[in-house]
Amino acid sequence: MKRAFLVGLALALVALALYPTQGTGYGVRTMLQLFMWIALAQSWNLISGLTGYVSFGHVAFFGMGAYSAGILIGKLGWAWPVACLAGGVMAMVLALVIGWPCLRLKGPYFAIAMLGLNEVLRVIVSYYEGLTGGGNGLSLPTLHASVPIYYAMGLVAIAVTGLTYLIITSRFGLRLMTIREDEVAAEAMGIDTFRHKLYAFLLSAVGPGIVGGLAARDQGYIEPLSVFPLITTITMIVMALFGGKGTIWGPVLGAVVLFTFQELVWARFIYLHQLLFGAIIVAVVLMMPRGILGVLQQKYNLPRTI
Amino acid sequence: MTPAITPAMVGQVVISGLLAGSLYAMVALGLGLIFGVMRVLNVAHGPMLMLGAYTTFWLFHWLGLSPYLSLLVSMPVLFVVGAVLQRLLVRRVVDAPELSSLLLTFGVSIAIVNLAQLMFTSDLRSVEYLTGSFILGPFAFSKSRVIACVVAILITAGAFWFLQKTRLGKALRAVSQSREVAQVCGINVQRIHMLAFGVASALAAAGGSLVAVMVAIQPEMGQVYTFKSFLVIVLGGAGNYPGALLGGLLLGLVEQLSSLFLTTQVNEAVAYILLVLVLLVRPTGLLKGRAS
Repeated sequence: MKRAFLVGLALALVALALYPTQGTGYGVRTMLQLFMWIALAQSWNLISGLTGYVSFGHVAFFGMGAYSAGILIGKLGWAWPVACLAGGVMAMVLALVIGWPCLRLKGPYFAIAMLGLNEVLRVIVSYYEGLTGGGNGLSLPTLHASVPIYYAMGLVAIAVTGLTYLIITSRFGLRLMTIREDEVAAEAMGIDTFRHKLYAFLLSAVGPGIVGGLAARDQGYIEPLSVFPLITTITMIVMALFGGKGTIWGPVLGAVVLFTFQELVWARFIYLHQLLFGAIIVAVVLMMPRGILGVLQQKYNLPRTI
Repeated sequence: MTPAITPAMVGQVVISGLLAGSLYAMVALGLGLIFGVMRVLNVAHGPMLMLGAYTTFWLFHWLGLSPYLSLLVSMPVLFVVGAVLQRLLVRRVVDAPELSSLLLTFGVSIAIVNLAQLMFTSDLRSVEYLTGSFILGPFAFSKSRVIACVVAILITAGAFWFLQKTRLGKALRAVSQSREVAQVCGINVQRIHMLAFGVASALAAAGGSLVAVMVAIQPEMGQVYTFKSFLVIVLGGAGNYPGALLGGLLLGLVEQLSSLFLTTQVNEAVAYILLVLVLLVRPTGLLKGRAS
């Protein structure tokens, strides 16, 4: 069973690595977006799925990465791979600034602080026009790099999934899950809950930061409305919840299934998009809080590390 | 260059701040009630306010009903919506981990906003009613804001009277102090939860009806009120109902004062920085709350 899974995984990775040599430009860009969603859903899972602290504003890190990378590429002429990594670092800095005051407390403070963060960043970005171009946006020099960005995006998705595997199978991950189940008990057992929550939060911000930078480079143009949309946060939450929060492959599964549906079916019902996502969130929370993968794990007695 | 700031301007800003703050206090009291009674943070509180604003708009648009009279419709309607929402969905996550109730109300919130977009479109609507200002010495106040403040104070006073003096109100406070003990005393906790959710949604609807006259109405107008109401609760101390009044007035003042020294654009950023500072320095709020 485990062997078949690993072989299948290796085959899928090889196929994806060879894909750009065969696929069309459109296909490559679609897959690139899928990788982006996997990285985003998986990152949200790191903080919210593992510690139970809901982040309603994870798109803020995406936007932070996009603007950091955009400014470094557009104004300072950095090479895009370095600039995107710097975007990840900047997202971590932002996470530190928000996490420090908000994660010291139990309760919904963190969730609401994240809900407001996005709006505030959008306002600030629009305000400092000199640096960010304000509402007019920021254009990057043209560069046709879809294929390198495809690989970079794929690497980030693999890295975040690998990181999740390492965390879930480690003591650090067990402590995070203890916080999720009962924070007071976790403290009583001597876990420094604030530090653990903060580390998980910082790790969950890097991925979206790098991915934001890559998306900015790929699109070549960013503006406040395009990099801070609430729907991005909603989408990553839905994907992680649907696949199974707090698992390793759940967010990947959720991203693949929902992204495919989105491309094939929902693109025609764009107006119903959010309603549908809202309904999925409500239904998953009420009827299968562990997501598809959680249900499968229970039914077929699969190991926790799937 | 910013023009020099005169004492008259400061006075004007302080009074505007208090006018806006009384409205924040009323809306936040609703969010605080739900949080106090059920330990649920209702992310859909702001969208309830948006529904209240639309109720007022449509009544004004189709029947020409005065926005202030439409309170008599919007509040009962949203009371029912809130109570039904509690009965059907929120009831099931009251005892679940916080993550469930946050995600559930978040899902409800985006569904409501999207439904509003489908039914009412995203066009900006406005209620043209009671324009102009009262002039008092060097100060000028828009009539709609003054009346909104007076109505908000009356409704908030009514809510406090209900909480302090009536049997139901006392039962509600009892449940928010200790659910188990209240239950042992023979209070029907499920009914109180529904009541609290209904009253809270009615308070949000009142806020919506009152701001309908002042600002553009659109489906996404509500979300920012969820955030601001929460900020008010944190300022006043979570679970402390009179604290919400103080917090509301304070938020109104800080916002208006910041627009005097900075531009109005950064209003939301200032409110946000205030939240982060309060959480750093005094997480239990100004009046002592029951925050963990």
